[in-house]
Amino acid sequence: MTAKIFRNSMVVGLSVFLLSVALFMGVLYQYFGTQLTQELQSEAVLVARGVESMGMDYLENLNLSNRVTWVDTDGTVLYDNQADPATMENHGDRVEIQEAMWGSQGSAVRYSETLSEKTFYVACRLSDGSVIRMASAQYTIVVLLLSMAQPLLIILVVTLILAAVLANRLSKRMIKPILELDLEHPEECNTYDELAPFLTRIRRQNDTIKGQMNLLRQRQEEFAALTENMSEGFVLLDQRGHILSYNSGALRLLGAAIPAPEANVLALDRTDAFRHSVEQVLAGCRNQGRLDRSGRCVQILADPVFRDKDVVGAVLVLVDITEREQGEKMRREFTANVSHELKTPLTAISGMAEIMKNGMVKPEDVTGFASDIYKESQRLIALVEDIIHLSRLDEGEDDLKREPTDMLELAKKVAGRIDPLTKQAGVSLAVAGAPFIVQGISSVLEEMVYNLCDNAVKYNHAGGTVAVSVSPKGKGGVVEVTDTGIGIPIQDQQRVFERFYRVDKSHSKEIGGTGLGLSIVKHGAALHDAQVELESTPGQGTTVRLIFPEE
Amino acid sequence: MRNSFNEQLEQLNVELIKMGALCEEAISAATKALLERDLQLGERARVLEQEIDHKERDIETQCMKLLLRQQPVAGDLRAVSAALRMISDMERIGDQASDIAEIARDMEESRLSRTVPMAEMARAAIRMVTDSVDAFVRGDLALAHDVLREDDQVDQLFLQVREELIALIAAGENGSVCLDLLMVAKYFERIGDHAVNIAEWVEYSLTGAHKSVE
Repeated sequence: MTAKIFRNSMVVGLSVFLLSVALFMGVLYQYFGTQLTQELQSEAVLVARGVESMGMDYLENLNLSNRVTWVDTDGTVLYDNQADPATMENHGDRVEIQEAMWGSQGSAVRYSETLSEKTFYVACRLSDGSVIRMASAQYTIVVLLLSMAQPLLIILVVTLILAAVLANRLSKRMIKPILELDLEHPEECNTYDELAPFLTRIRRQNDTIKGQMNLLRQRQEEFAALTENMSEGFVLLDQRGHILSYNSGALRLLGAAIPAPEANVLALDRTDAFRHSVEQVLAGCRNQGRLDRSGRCVQILADPVFRDKDVVGAVLVLVDITEREQGEKMRREFTANVSHELKTPLTAISGMAEIMKNGMVKPEDVTGFASDIYKESQRLIALVEDIIHLSRLDEGEDDLKREPTDMLELAKKVAGRIDPLTKQAGVSLAVAGAPFIVQGISSVLEEMVYNLCDNAVKYNHAGGTVAVSVSPKGKGGVVEVTDTGIGIPIQDQQRVFERFYRVDKSHSKEIGGTGLGLSIVKHGAALHDAQVELESTPGQGTTVRLIFPEE
Repeated sequence: MRNSFNEQLEQLNVELIKMGALCEEAISAATKALLERDLQLGERARVLEQEIDHKERDIETQCMKLLLRQQPVAGDLRAVSAALRMISDMERIGDQASDIAEIARDMEESRLSRTVPMAEMARAAIRMVTDSVDAFVRGDLALAHDVLREDDQVDQLFLQVREELIALIAAGENGSVCLDLLMVAKYFERIGDHAVNIAEWVEYSLTGAHKSVE
């Protein structure tokens, strides 16, 4: 800007300077030329008079700075005060002399060969016809200019300096309001009118940028909200292993603190498996890993992100697979247990049948063997029934019809069903309480209460009691089965709901049962959104509560 | 130039985290080997110890290169010098873990290790190491200070183990096992001390103040 202004002012200054010099010189030169001619004329007239009266003597005594030449009528030079007349050529053809011969006076201007001089000639005719000519030289403009070069140069330099200083100051003054512009709020600025369209444009662009920023932020928030609400952990890495993005699920699953921005992913976790996974994925290998962290089992799914065959980052997804693993383990155990439980009575049946087939049984013992076989097969049937029951509950069969069921009535029905057993065990069972209605599958509810009562009777002392109490609570209610039996040790209280779990494995055969009863209760309760509570003191008895929700 | 320097610093950081992780792994392997008599894990602890030694040399070279070629100043210089000190502590932790694994291998029985609060000691020591490495990873000054407090607990546990072992010897238990256990307890106590050192160097790299400097 400064340079441009400087250049402009220089051009202006120089052209004004040159023009004025040219004008000045031209006018002056012209003026001086005229002046010189007049002077020469009057001088020529004077000299002519002198020569006419005194002849050659006058000329010889004359002391003039200008050149004086006396030319005869035929053009021969009679006298010249600056050269030898003998050497001079005939002057008859000179313009001024011819003019003087024709008229009485003549004048001419001639440039010297080098153009550096301009000579004015004035001629005057004497009465005898000869001509006196005066000549005076004048320097040409070029020479004049050259002789003035020094002052001109000085003026030029001064102009340059002035132009520079002024240009600097001017540009500063012009730029100042521009520099003071507040581009954030362009409309509030008070500046050149010429800049107004600019500012409007900037304001519009500001608005656009703001809008786009908002949009971006919104997108980012949406993304964050999405990932935040994932139960899975999510970590995004760049190719050097820096964390670009993560969700709180990842921190929770890895048990890590909030990492510093741009931190290395190892700040989240540094276990061997995790490191291995990260190294692999950043090398471009998709992989899966497993982390065992304080009882939780976390699966890592690591996927590299490619752009043009180069790994530019990675996505780590962390999934809590503790429950899945446990479920799988339980299922495996269940299968193993089922096979075992099914095999035991079958082996007995098969063994006894084989002995009978081989005729090794005395006829009077056949009844005993048959009753054993019957007993074992009954057990087998009960087991299979229980398993079918459980698997139905597992599937969460919805096609079972839900109907309002009176729990007190149901408890009484169960008491009636179980009566033979209680008598056999020498246990008294009493049902008490007030009725309440559960919207549920009555066969499942009955099975649940039956199983609880069955356990209460089976694991009771002879002469013990079982109390079934039904009490409404809000829209729901509680069914409580309390016995005075052997109780469950504290360490087993959680596990009795597992399939096939038996507290006392060695005596399970005597007592009978399949080990699936409480499991059925648990699943049935889950189907009805009910809670199961168990309180037990070894040696004193057990209380199991089925709490149906109040809503 | 600066960029590559920052990159190298970060690389150093990552390597330190890895070395810390190796230490944690080595102690837990050694502890499991001791308490559960898992000989394979004992072997793992010894392998890890060698890996830790390697890492120490690697990081040392890295630090030297950084110091000589980049001539870091202020915070960066502190970070590098703290790293140099930390790796020697980590290396000692690895040694002690391997020593524990060795004792565990040669010990005649492990019953007594469960009667004295050795598991608690191990847990406390492991937590100290974990916390000190965490403090480094996160640049968490408060956590570094926590480590200093946890050390008192480990010292307390050591005294307790020692007294219980004396009582056991007096009650006629196997003396050599008791002495082995005392050694193990001492190793755990030393691991705690090294964790404290690491925490102190973390503090130094963060604040520029170190206990030994004051």
